[in-house]
Order: sequence, then structure tokens, then C-alpha cells
Amino acid sequence: MFAKIARFECRYQLRNPLMWVTAAATFALFFVSMSVDGFELGSEGGLLENAAYATLRNYLMVSVFFIFATTSFVANVVIRDDETGFGPIVRSTRITKFEYLIGRFLGAFAIAGLCMLLVPLAIWLGSLMPWADPTTLGPNRLIDHLYGYFLLALPNILISSAVFFALATITRSMMATYLGVIGFVSGFFILQNAFGDRPQLETVVAVADPFGARALSDATRYWTVAERNVTLPDFTGALLYNRLLWIGISVVCLALAYAAYRFADQGTSKRERKKQKLAQRLSEETAVTGNGATSLPSPQHGHAALRALLWMRTRFEIQQVVLSPAFAVLMAWGLFVTFFVLITQRDPDGRPTYPTTLSMIPELEDAFSVIPLIIAIYYAGELVWRERDRRVHELVDAAPMPNWAYVVSKTLAMGLVLMATLLTTVVASVIVQLSLGYPDLELGKYLLWYVLPRTWDMLLLAALAVFVQAISPHKAVGWGIMMLFLIWQQLNTAIDHNLLNYGGTPDMPLSDLNGAGSFWKGAWTFRTYWGAFAILLLVAAHLLWRRGTEIRLKPRLARARRRLAGAPGWVAGAALLIFIATGAYAYYNTNILNEYRTRNASNDDAAEFEKRFWKYHDLPQPTIADVTLDIALYPEERRAVTKGRCRLRNLTARPITNIHVRLLDRDLELTSSTIAGTRLILNDAKYDYRIYRLDRPMQPGEERVLTFETRRRHRGFRNGSPNTRLVENGTFLSNEELMPVIGMNRAGTLQDRAMRRRYGLPEELPRPKLEDVSAAAKPCIGEGWTKADITVSTMANQTPIAPGRKVSDVRRGGRRIARFISEAPILIFFSVQSARYAEKHRRHAGVDLAVYYHPAHAWNVDRMLDALVASLDYYQAKFGPYPFDHVRIVEFPGYRRFAQAFAGTIPYSETYGFISDYQEPETIDHVTGVTAHELAHQYWAHQVVGADMEGEGMLSETLAQYSALMVVKKLRGEDQIRRYLQFELDRYLEGRANASADEPPLARVENQSYITHHKGALAMYLLQKRLGEDAINRALRNLLHRYKFQGAPYPRSLDFIAALRAEAKTSEEQALITDLFERITLYDLKVSQPTAVRRADGRWDVTVPVEAKKLDVHGRGAETETPLAERIEIGLFTAEPGRDVFDTSNVVLMERHPIRSGRQVLKFVTDRKPTYAGVDPYNFYIDRNSADNVLPVS
Amino acid sequence: MLNLRDVTHVYPNGTRALDRVTLSIPRGMYGLLGPNGAGKSTLMRAIATLQTPTEGTIRFGEIDVIAEPEKLRRKLGYLPQDFGVYPRVSAYDMLDHMAVLKGVASPADRKTTVETLLHQTNLWNVRKKLLSGFSGGMRQRFGIAQALIGNPELIIVDEPTAGLDPEERNRFLNLLAEIGESVVVILSTHIVEDVSDLCPRMAVLADGRVQLEGAPQELIHSTHGRIWMKVIDRGELACYREQYELLSTRLFAGRTVVHILSDRDPGNGFTAVDAGLEDVYFSTLVQSRRAA
Repeated sequence: MFAKIARFECRYQLRNPLMWVTAAATFALFFVSMSVDGFELGSEGGLLENAAYATLRNYLMVSVFFIFATTSFVANVVIRDDETGFGPIVRSTRITKFEYLIGRFLGAFAIAGLCMLLVPLAIWLGSLMPWADPTTLGPNRLIDHLYGYFLLALPNILISSAVFFALATITRSMMATYLGVIGFVSGFFILQNAFGDRPQLETVVAVADPFGARALSDATRYWTVAERNVTLPDFTGALLYNRLLWIGISVVCLALAYAAYRFADQGTSKRERKKQKLAQRLSEETAVTGNGATSLPSPQHGHAALRALLWMRTRFEIQQVVLSPAFAVLMAWGLFVTFFVLITQRDPDGRPTYPTTLSMIPELEDAFSVIPLIIAIYYAGELVWRERDRRVHELVDAAPMPNWAYVVSKTLAMGLVLMATLLTTVVASVIVQLSLGYPDLELGKYLLWYVLPRTWDMLLLAALAVFVQAISPHKAVGWGIMMLFLIWQQLNTAIDHNLLNYGGTPDMPLSDLNGAGSFWKGAWTFRTYWGAFAILLLVAAHLLWRRGTEIRLKPRLARARRRLAGAPGWVAGAALLIFIATGAYAYYNTNILNEYRTRNASNDDAAEFEKRFWKYHDLPQPTIADVTLDIALYPEERRAVTKGRCRLRNLTARPITNIHVRLLDRDLELTSSTIAGTRLILNDAKYDYRIYRLDRPMQPGEERVLTFETRRRHRGFRNGSPNTRLVENGTFLSNEELMPVIGMNRAGTLQDRAMRRRYGLPEELPRPKLEDVSAAAKPCIGEGWTKADITVSTMANQTPIAPGRKVSDVRRGGRRIARFISEAPILIFFSVQSARYAEKHRRHAGVDLAVYYHPAHAWNVDRMLDALVASLDYYQAKFGPYPFDHVRIVEFPGYRRFAQAFAGTIPYSETYGFISDYQEPETIDHVTGVTAHELAHQYWAHQVVGADMEGEGMLSETLAQYSALMVVKKLRGEDQIRRYLQFELDRYLEGRANASADEPPLARVENQSYITHHKGALAMYLLQKRLGEDAINRALRNLLHRYKFQGAPYPRSLDFIAALRAEAKTSEEQALITDLFERITLYDLKVSQPTAVRRADGRWDVTVPVEAKKLDVHGRGAETETPLAERIEIGLFTAEPGRDVFDTSNVVLMERHPIRSGRQVLKFVTDRKPTYAGVDPYNFYIDRNSADNVLPVS
Repeated sequence: MLNLRDVTHVYPNGTRALDRVTLSIPRGMYGLLGPNGAGKSTLMRAIATLQTPTEGTIRFGEIDVIAEPEKLRRKLGYLPQDFGVYPRVSAYDMLDHMAVLKGVASPADRKTTVETLLHQTNLWNVRKKLLSGFSGGMRQRFGIAQALIGNPELIIVDEPTAGLDPEERNRFLNLLAEIGESVVVILSTHIVEDVSDLCPRMAVLADGRVQLEGAPQELIHSTHGRIWMKVIDRGELACYREQYELLSTRLFAGRTVVHILSDRDPGNGFTAVDAGLEDVYFSTLVQSRRAA
């Protein structure tokens, strides 16, 4: 009997459309993610699509999404009998309560489990597809799926089914159950975020997470790509306890449901009793005899009546949406997420920012992205089917309401509801702004750049959904089609022209400096285009509207033609005209004024370019010895004209016969270029590559002159992301966007390894080995040292900025013209900027320190200037004189988020530092750190530039990191440094875990920032701790002295390491240099149960058991243990290091002790009672589990 | 007034719900009687513009109903056999809403309409209650109220008394009788008393065909002297069923009363009775069954 009931339930659920939608979506998702390139789910950062870790993540992810489906399955089990009124009949049979309840539950649960089986099937089939990229796929291993299915997914389904089955059984209400789901999920997120980042609660959080996601990510944290591809985490510890705990909770929930369910007849329901009462009340009235029906007013059917009808209908539809319980739930959930994101997630790296409107809008778009989508699609179905679902269609359809009133009122209602929901989030955002004490509310910007475009886009979707519902035989089918459409749109890589992709628009990047620029034009052209199309869809929906009882499509199609006559025809005609006109205009802009390139075309070109021209990369080429540029910027027209003259000198030892002149930027046009005494032997217009044959070869030391003119103009709008470099306010052009480069190099080639494989290119372009001394002839930045004379002219109300000493700055002919001459050699690696700036200058040590900023972004200007002062003092004292008479920090629009160092100039993004909020004193001061880092590049890049080979990144980024860290140490004190180091450590470990290429040691690093920046900072800090800051600075000073502004050979990382080795006094220090720079070394240091016992003399006996391990890592991630014998800090504290309250007075003891591999116990006697004890408490060593370095003393 | 000619409707599954129905319906109450599944509701929906019949014409006065359903809807009041309500809407608001849909635009007109009808249907005291909380009878009263909005010239009520208790049914029929004097009212039902109480003219619909059409009194008169009854034991019923074609059987005080149709005295203890409309109806059904 039990089995029969379960089987019946299975069969019943198989007829549930939601089940099929869930199954189809699950299958499609994984099939596509596996086979279609560029769409990744669980795999990230170079993992194989079917890596062990990716597979587990996929199971987790899908089981979380499954909650909604499984809840519907299991809740249906108990609720449907009451809804249909069939309950008493079923329950009066011989079936027992256990069979009835648990049998059905198991049936529904089995169906969910079966749906989940589509995951391995889809992954397996997807990986076999002929179009799948075999290089992104590993072997499919059954064991990964067994692990994922039985240990993660199935228990998760059991958990969600059992919990919500219990809830449904107890509440007997679908809505209450869904509210429970939402509460459950949001509660889960709240707890995660409230306690998730507390290391001491790590295990608790991991065990308490109902889905086991936290336990899995903890177990695999800092695993490298190689490990994630093939290794499954041990099923022990938090993961095991988590599963046991939650399976236990599931069983308890089932028991609760069983106990709470009263099998005997429930008697009349509350609703039924209410009805009876109402009827009784009515029958108590005395019946009034009718007084004839003749006195009623007669209807009119004029315009006024139609207006009243439309208004009434729209209002009514809005009410029906807004007052429905699901809407309240959706909005509550949406607002909850919005508030949550706005409050907590605005500063993902612990970098809080002021809540400027433009920084809030992307967050709002992000946080409130799914809810309007759901509202648009879900309620489109509800609205179209409402009359039929509520069985009022015979009443309404027989009324003399015109046909158009259905579609028009329902669409209007959708639009107003969507706009109101978006406005609600604006209110939420404003509340957050006000509560953070930010008074500058820019409601117009919210409206123009968030509410209107989003409403429009959602209405487009709603219109499509209305159309789909109008032709679907069932509401669920319509929803399913819309879901598939959304998934398709997400995955779609084939169609990327916005003219073909429904609702597609070019991006409209926003910036405080430049507002929406002129980018809104493209976006709104396409919005109009698709809006007209949406109207056509709505007309079609109107023509096919189900009025009356005919629901088949065919008779309605036959009727549609007759209905087209008159107004619908006119509307459709007008919409068609607009559609064609805007489409043509858009096409003119995207394909004629601008070049339309698909993503693939760009890659094709880059690959072809490399195949054609890479062969020239080691030809000897002349170097630009000096350059004179006259750059005319016309920001209002998004246009620039550059006239230039370069003196080219043969700095090689060989004669040069050909000069290669090329452009790196496709938006740049070389209108003329001449080199006297040459003829053009190749002019490849597609790749902007020219080769000039010298009539007489250029001998070593000989010079030639290249004169050229370039233009760039951004006309109209493009299909894809707009060019954001030359804009109305906030132009930021680099040298390659203004002038040609000489000779072939890596720039412009494909970088992505998977992409390179696809084009049959080697995984990466070979970079010269560290041992290849001949490679030291080329610098890694630019082509060599140059002198520059740059004149920039721009709009009269903007400030032009270029590298060099400003020798003149005049306004002439309605334009502002400034001339800059370099006073020291610079690299052909510079930028030109222009915007309406406010300026703040400070003169220090003979240098003009200046910040050029957007007038509304004054918050951190002084902090930047302070950082410049402190850095300049440190660098001049320790390294050598600063070579320029100015430092300019120049703000640029937040289209990109970074700061960069050019000679004497530091472009700094508005969203990177300028709007950082330091009202909270605990915030890590990244602005000071970044400013110090960029100023350090004036030494380490702009005075000493490394050779173009392995190890290049160490000579610029690592040294800049070290310099900045020393400045911060001087400003903040050593005890505060732990937080900075912990930040660097975390970044390094995460970076190496996600890296797609093998990890090199520092000495061979290229440009992987997780090594150059984050590991570099840790290595240099530990080294200065051991050798002393002075010794390191001495080594740096020597390096600077030897290579400052020198041509080839350029320094290698080995040259710096040699300088360090010269400072190392002991073999222990030499070994440390080897470990830090030439190897990849990991440490595993931890204390276990430190104790403190009071002695008779009132002092304290402290015992600190330490376990230690040292590992050597090879590129692929293989680890071998090596013996550890180093003197490492042991610390005893009265507060936890790195916490807010921690300072020097909390340090009871800090001593270095020899630590060996394995377990050892250290004993101390202290005057004060320590509450915390730790080994390497400040995280000088690279340790994947730094949380166990310090523990409370018992 | 309302003329149907050869109205035929075939459902996609092949069911011939209406088969060349031709009727001419004058002003006043018109009863459409038929068993469940006879095609009554299909016919009502076809007249109410909700379903286009596969063949045939329907005219109401000057209006070609199939070509210009919009025009008919302006004169139509329709109470479907079965209808639902919007959630979270009170009786007053829904009636107000229906009034706007029917073209009663000005707020003052609407107020008069809604309030009059609420009083007329005795829903005034519960006007602020949600419709979803209404019992079947109350919902039916709401249905008739909305059908009366805007002085319709054609009122179609489909199975209006199903589910009403006797008192409610009485009140409802009174209301219909009052209106039915000046306009066309089609009352579709399977309850014979509804028709005999109210309608000066009627038709019997079975198997999608009009089996009988006329004034109830005349029809009753035509069967006069042909209806015979006998009281038998329940156990004998099967035997009688074989022997005679029974018009109707009903229980009375534990015994069974059977009616048969016969031109001559069938003997065997049968006695003549005065025919009612019920006997007319059942004899029509028997004949149509025989013909099939």
C-alpha cells in the first residue's frame, strides 16, 4: 500500500507542469554550460568545466535553486486535497495516516531526486557534444557525481522538502509555506553575513549552513586549480557533521509534520463558517420586494465612458497585482535584498565609499535585478489569464468593453507597477544615503538613469510575456517559454547585435564626472526600436486575445485579420514605421558610422594579427629618442587630432633595414606618416601595420625622423560597449590611443589561454627566460627613455594635463592650450587627460603636489596630499631624489577602477579612492596605500625599468608594494600592520587558488598581480623584518644608483636579488631569500591549547604548544614537505591582534624562537596574564590557515 | 426579436453540441428546458457572443450577433451558469466595476445603478463584504444584479436557480418576472417548475436539437389524456421498465409512482392523470431518445 501511494504520487507529480519546467531548465542549464563556450557555472578562473570542484558546486547551486520547486511539490501533497475538497473522501478510505502522509512525501521527494539526476545526464551529454571545447573539459568521473549527488544534492533536497513539508502540513497554506521559504533563505543569508567572517565561528557557521556550501568552501579554500580539477574534499569534519545535523533536522521535521497532521476530518473550514454566518445575516433582513428595473441609468459608449473604463480597468489591474500576497512577498524580499546589499555590500574589499547616487545606481541594478524580472514575467501570465483563472471571463467578456481595453489596461498596469517597485527601491536607496549622513540627493539622476531605463526594459519583457501568454495554451507553458527565453538570452553568444537580440541595448556607463555622457543616445535609440517592436507584439496579443470561451489558437488566428482593421492596424503601422526607422538609424550608427565587430571577430582578428606579424617581434627596431606632440582634443565632439614628430635612434648594435610602424587602437586613424629616405613596402590597412624600407640602412647610433598625424573620432554609437576614453568631461587617453608604436610586441595579441588554444596558438607567447641575458636589451614598458614636448589643447573650461613640466598654459581662440616639457627622461608610456577640474596644490620639498579632481569629490584630496608628503619624504630619504618638479593626481571617470602611475602623473579613478569613506577610523586606509604605491612607481618603473622577461613584475610592482608598506608602517605603526598583511595574504592565497597558469616564484613572475602585489608585499615585509629595513633600502638604493634612466641592458629580478644577497649576513638569511624569491614556500604554523597557570609569586607560567610544517610547492601545485628550522615570533597578548582594540600595550611578550617541523612546546613566564598566544601572530609567513596562528589562552 | 437560424456548433473533439437550432424568441420570458448536456449552455454562450457557432446566424433585432458582437454586448445582460469572482473585491466595488465595463461612466449614474441593484437583490447589507466570502445564493444574486446593469434589452440567465434554496429561488424568480415584461429574457434551466412558473413561451432542447417549442399551456393541453400513472412496489420497478416506456418515476411514501405515455388506457391498474409540464418535458425526451 505504502509503495503504491508513493508511486501514485510520483505519477501525479509527473503531470505537474512546474516539474517539467524545473526539469527542462535544469537540463538545459547544465547541457549548455558544459558544451557552449564562455558560459560557465560552477567552474571559475581556469577550472575545467567538469572539474571535481565545479561539479560539486553545480550540485550545491542547483539544490539551492531547487528549494522553490521541491517546496511546491511537497506542499502540494498536503494542500491539494483540501483545495480540491477531495480530502474527506481520500481520508475516509482504509489508508493510514502514515501511508497517506509519508508515502506521498516520498513520492514527491523522489520526483525532485529524479529531476536532480538530469544534472549528471546533462553534464555527460553536454561534454560529448561535438561543439564542446575539449580543452576545457576533463574526463567525466562517476565518483564526482556520486559524491555531489548523494552527499550534497540529495540531502539538500531532503532538507528543503522535509522542512517545508512540515511547514505546509502545519499551516495548510501555500502562501505561508512560500513565506517560510523566503524567511528561511533570507535568514540564512543574514546569519551568513553576520557571522560568516568571524574566524572563531567558522566551524559553527559551516555546520549550521543548511546547504553545506560553507563547509565545502572551507574545505577547499585556497586549493589550487590543479587540486580543484581532480580532488574531492574528505567527507569529514564540518562537512560530515553538517550533513548529519541537517538530515537529523529533516527527520525531526517529518516527525513534526506527522504529529501535527490531524487525519480525521477537519470539520468545516473557517472560510465555510464565515460564509454561513454571512448568509445567515442576510436572511435575517426583511426581503424588500423589487421596485421594477426601469429606473436604472442607461449606458453610454462615448469617449468619456471609454476613458473612465480604461482608467478603472488599469487601476483595478494594479490593485490586483499590488494587493496579491505574492507581490507583498516579492517586494519584501526585493527590498530586503536591496537594503542588505546597499548597506553591507557596497565595499566588497573592505573599502567603504560615500553613497553617491552614481555609486548606488549600479548596486540597485544589481540587488534589484531579479525581482522586476519575476514581476514582469509572473504577472504578465497572471494578468493575461486572470479572468479565466478566476472564472469571471464570461461576465467580463460579455460586457461591452472594447477588445483593446484588455491589452492596453493590463500593459499600462504592468508599467505602473514596475515603475512603482523601482521607485520604492529608490526610496530605499535614499534612506540609506540619508542614514549614512549623505545629504546630496540627486533624484533626477535616479529617475533618468535607473527608474526610466529599467522600467522600459522590464516593460519590453512584460510585453513579450503578454504576447507569449496570448498564444500559449496554458499559463505555465507561457511562463516556461519565458524562462527558456531568459536562459537562452543569458547563454546566447551567437547573436550579439542589438538589432537582433530582443531588448538589447548598448551599455550606458555612468560617471559623476561625465554623467551619462552621450551614451544615452545609443541606449535610447535601441529602446525606442524595441519599444516599437513590443507594441507590435502587443497588437498581436490584442488580435489574438481570448475573448469568450474559445481558447484554441487557430480560430483566433482566423479572427485576427478581421480585428486588424481600424485602430489596431494604424497602431501597428505606426509602430512598424518607428521600428524600421529607428532600426535603420541604429544600423547606420552601429555598422556604418562605427565598425560592427562580433566578439568572435575581435578574437579572430587578434589571432590572425599574431599569426601574421609576431614573426617580426625580435627584429631590431629604432627607439623613440624624443617626441614632440601637438594634441588637439575636442571633447564635446569626442574627437582628437594629434600631430607628432619622433626622432628615432638605432640603439641596437646592428643596422636596421625596415621600420615597423603600427597602431594598437582600432579607433585611431593614421592620416599621414612619413620617414625621410624610406618607402612604404607594406601597408596593411586592416591591422594598421606599416613597414618602411630604408633606402640606406640605419647604422647603430644613427637617427631618422618620423612625422605623423592621427585622428580619432567617436561618431554616433556602437553596438557594444561604447568607447569611454575620449568623452565630454573626463578624457583619459594613453600614448597608444594617440600615436603609433614602433615595432611588433605582445600588445594587441590574444591573452586568454583557452581562446589562444582555440585558434591553435601556443598557450602564451614565450617570454624570455630569466637566464636569457640577451633579453635584457628591451625594457618591459615602452621602448626606452625619451624626452617629450607635448602641447595639449582642449575646451576652454577644461584643464589639459600631460607629462612634464608645464611651461605655458594659455587660453586662445576659445581653447585652453598647455605645453609640457619633460625635465627628466620618460618612457613612451604616458597619458593625456582633460576635464573640468578643481585643483588643490601643496608645495613640499621643492615639489608641487597637486590633485585635480571633480569638484564634488573633495573628500580625500587632503588624504592624498598627506600620503604624497609622507611618501615623498620617505622615498627621497631612503632611495634618492624625486626626478620631477611635480606630482599630479588626476581623477578620471569611474568607467574603470584603478590608479596608475605615469611619469609625474597618477590617473586615479573616481570610484577608486576619490569617493572612499574614512569616517570610520577602523577602515583600512587604501587611499594612502595606493597613493604611496603609485608614487613609489616614480622610482620603480619610471627611474628603474625592468627588462622585458621573466621577473619583470617584481622590479616594479613588488618594490612599489614594499615602499608603500614602509610608508604605511611609518604612519600607522607596526602593530597595526597585521591587518594589511592579512589582506595581502588572503589576496595571494585566493589568487593562486584561482590562477589558471602555473604559479611561478617571485623571481620569475610576469604580471600576475596576486604574486607581484600580494605575495611580493608579504615577502618583502618578512625580509625587512629579518634583514632590517635599512639593509633592504640600501639594496634598493644601489639598484637605483646603478640603473636610473639607463638604457640596455635593463635590470632583471636577479639583479635585485643579488643586491639583497649582498646585504644578507647569515646563511639563514640567504636561505630565506631563496625561499621567498626563488621558490614557492608555504608554512603551516599553529598553536594548540595554550595555557597560563598562576605561580606562587603571582607571575604566570605560560605554555604554548606549537605545530609547524614547511612545504615546497612546484608550479602545478604539488607540495613536498621540507624541514623547517627557522626562528619565528611567538607572541603573548592581552587582546587579539588585528582586532579594533589592539595596540602595543596589549603585547605581553614578542620573541623569536627556533621552530622545527612537528610539534613542540614553548614555555614562558610572564608578569601579566596573557589572554591570547600565537606563533607568527602578525602573519609574516605565508600560511593557508592563518586563523589558527593565535588562540585564546585557557 | 431574437432569431436563431440553423445555429450549429461542433466542438474540436467532434461533439455536435448544437444541431441546426432555429428559434424565434419574442419579448418576455422564454424558457429553455433541457437535460444536462443538451447544449443549453453552448447556445447561451453563442447568443452571449462568447462563442462563435460553427454555422448559422443569430440576429437580435437589427444586430447580426456573429458579425458585430460589440453591438449586442451593449444591450446584453448575461448571467453565466457558473462564474467566479476576483479575490479581494467587495460586492459594491465589483458591481461598480461591472457598471463601468457596461458603459455606465458617470459616477452619479454608477452610484444610482449600483445602489438600486444592491437593494433590489437584497445585497445592500453585505455590499462591503468580499465576494469571495459569498455563499452560492448570494453569489447568484450578485450575478443577476450585474446582468441588470444598464437596462439590457436581452437578458440571458443560464441555470440561475441551481443551488438556491426554495426561498431564494422564489425571490429570484419574482425579480426575473418583474423585468421580463419589457425585454427578452432567456431562462435556461433543467428544472421544469422554473419554466412553468414564469415563461409564456418555451423550448425543449435535447441532443443539441430543438425538440419542442411553444407555450407551456398549449403543450400541456396537447398531452391531455395521454398520461397514466400507477403506484407500484419498488421491487416491481424493473419489471415495469421492461414492459412500458416510463416517463418518470418518483418515490412517494416509500412506494414508487410511475408515469407512462399512452394514447389508450393501458389497463393493468394505470389511472389517468392531469398532465403537467413535467410530463410534457419527459415525453419529449422519451421521443427524442426513441428517434436517436
